[in-house]
Amino acid sequence: MDKILRINMGDENGPKAIEEPLGDYAGLGGRGMTSAIISKEVPPLCHPLGKDNKLVIAPGLLSGSHAAQSGRASVGCKSPLTGGIKEANVGGQGAQVLARIGYAAIVLEGKPSDNTLYKAVINKDGVEITPDNSLKMMGNYDLVDKLKKEYGDKVACISIGPAGEMKMAAASVAFTDMEQRPTRHAGRGGVGAVMGAKGVKVIILDDTGMPTRSPKDQEKFKAANKAFVQGLKKHPITGEGLPSFGTNILTNVINEAGALPTHNFKTGRFDGAGNISGETQSEIMKARGGMVAHGCHKGCVIRCSGIYNDKDGHYVTKRPEYETVWAHGGNCGIDDMDAIAELDRMDDDYGLDTIEMGATIGVVMEAGLAKFGDAQAAINLLKEVGKGTPMGRILGSGAAVTGKVFGVERVPVVKGQALPAYDPRSVQGIGVTYATSTMGADHTAGYAVTANVLNVGGSVDPLKPEGQVELSRNLQIATAAIDATGMCLFIAFAVLDQPETFDALVDMISAFTGQNLTADDVTELGKNILSFERDFNSRAGFTAKDDRLPDFFKAEALPPHNVIFEVRDEDLDQVYNW
Amino acid sequence: MNPEFKHNTITKISLTVKPDRMSLFSTLLGQGFSLKIRIGISVRDLLCRQIGVGADYLDQRIQTIFLDGKVVDNAKTAVIRQGSTLALSAAMPGLAGATLRRGGAYAAMRSQISHKNNTVDDSAETGTVMLKLFNLVALELGPMFLKQGLYIHGKNLENFFQRIPDYFWDGCLAAEIDGISQGARKISLMEWGQEQVFLKLKTKEETQQQKPDLS
Repeated sequence: MDKILRINMGDENGPKAIEEPLGDYAGLGGRGMTSAIISKEVPPLCHPLGKDNKLVIAPGLLSGSHAAQSGRASVGCKSPLTGGIKEANVGGQGAQVLARIGYAAIVLEGKPSDNTLYKAVINKDGVEITPDNSLKMMGNYDLVDKLKKEYGDKVACISIGPAGEMKMAAASVAFTDMEQRPTRHAGRGGVGAVMGAKGVKVIILDDTGMPTRSPKDQEKFKAANKAFVQGLKKHPITGEGLPSFGTNILTNVINEAGALPTHNFKTGRFDGAGNISGETQSEIMKARGGMVAHGCHKGCVIRCSGIYNDKDGHYVTKRPEYETVWAHGGNCGIDDMDAIAELDRMDDDYGLDTIEMGATIGVVMEAGLAKFGDAQAAINLLKEVGKGTPMGRILGSGAAVTGKVFGVERVPVVKGQALPAYDPRSVQGIGVTYATSTMGADHTAGYAVTANVLNVGGSVDPLKPEGQVELSRNLQIATAAIDATGMCLFIAFAVLDQPETFDALVDMISAFTGQNLTADDVTELGKNILSFERDFNSRAGFTAKDDRLPDFFKAEALPPHNVIFEVRDEDLDQVYNW
Repeated sequence: MNPEFKHNTITKISLTVKPDRMSLFSTLLGQGFSLKIRIGISVRDLLCRQIGVGADYLDQRIQTIFLDGKVVDNAKTAVIRQGSTLALSAAMPGLAGATLRRGGAYAAMRSQISHKNNTVDDSAETGTVMLKLFNLVALELGPMFLKQGLYIHGKNLENFFQRIPDYFWDGCLAAEIDGISQGARKISLMEWGQEQVFLKLKTKEETQQQKPDLS
């Protein structure tokens, strides 16, 4: 993983690929790589769909090795949804395969002069980029099925669906999973629209003949990886809760806390939550011969995904995640698990962010164009997006645009990106992260990772009100660092609770890179990434006023606890003071 | 209503199911069931002294507790009142999951919905409490409650049986309503409305003599 592949889609002689050494980007991976390249090379005021924007796909530092949970990739660009920098994180096979082929990043640059659609095949022998207009407006599932016939069932595909081709701001980039299904998505921020603007339908990655990446210290790495896996397996969240119920284990609990945004953030409780909970979902999956515990990439030992079948036992989609179940479920008043699974499948096929689409449909329901709870109406609305009808184009532009078009005041977005599945009035510390993240509202930007173990930013008294701001800051720093490693964020719980698992993680990274990593190094890495991103956004025109939640969170009390968002603006402005 | 089961008391349903069907009832346990217990005591005393949950299980397994929707940090100082709703969960993923953990490092992030301590009283009164069991806690404690029998809101039970996967009925070996043997599937057609219904489960492996009655 010692080179960068740059593909200029705007070269006058057609797409042109060159390989470069890492240069200034040596030692970076994942989000560290994408944000460094975007910050340094993309003019912040450029149009996100123009020739000057770049789409960067980067595996994590440990991807392609035998390190457990190291299969995450980052997809970065200037976001067409937020207008700021974007890193969308994704599982699937792409990170592992790309890293084994040897690339620390693929950078799509320039813009084709016409509407020709291209596919790129990357293997040990190099890169081949060919026009293939037969792929136009093909859904991700049909696309991958077609490519499987041509390239076999071992390759990994990174693709866009019709939404990306139509350059919709809610478009995702799909990564195939272990079964070569396009179920894992770099969902947030419209990264799929940027890939569409580059004229690239699919990148096919074939690592045949390429070895697994080797650590600098094989024995130390092997021992640390073993201890790390043991730590993940013995922890109740990573070893039991997530494999049994997936991330949707959260629905019942968040609902009980009164923090499940329901009916477009009107209330914090959904009467139908039990019908779409992780517990119910798992029983449905078991009954239909699906799979309850399943990894999204090789090397995953947590296995929070699964296979969701229809009543006749036929595959529909992977296990819809908590965010999806919330977005298409409680947020829209829908308590039909099969309808949610169908919507998830459609999102994956069209290539759309499930959070953005669920929030957008919630806004449409708020506008009165459909009733809350009407699953068929939600399905029909999503079909409009897939077809690219005028209505579909509006919805595919995300919740903020849709709210403007239909005159809705309660539009749950920050920096133009829809809020995820936790109401910030109930869990205010998450609201701080939603407001101040460089990414727009993002639940993974300040994850419960190792902040307290690393002592990032000093010790915080959790009983003091200002602790919310400090905790959010520390979590955002720690998360940015983890995103650079290619590790799944779900390792956080075992690392958080079990010092020996944290030590195993640090030992594993050190053994792999040959460096003696310290907590200070991790903190510094996280701060550097955030500084790149913050600087880009500042040059793109973002100011403190963009680090705010929508007014209604301060004005409308959320039942059942009747709380409003109380963190002061001046406190929010302190998040990036370190 | 169900004319053939008119009565003045609470309807009692008894089901005999194969052991592997027990987990299907997690959905129902998550929606809550009523207990008649001594009130005015702490959550810890309720769970450990009245219900018989082990102290280690409470301390290590039940990482997330809600009392009337508020997050409990200290089970010794959160007091059960008449009509309280108590919800129990294992540790949860995600930042939100971490913030909701009792006494967790991120408790400050949800201080607006944290349960404020209140005082134990010595009145020794009996009252009704709603208990909800989620995820791993439902799988582990649920069978004990289901075998003892529990009071369920009729609407929840109706909804549950209407949505239960078909394979449940193959493993439902016997059904009784108020002591009268019934076809198991008949239960899915019944309406209880706002009534409380007493549900009790027995588990039994299917034998040659115990083919399910699917009428």
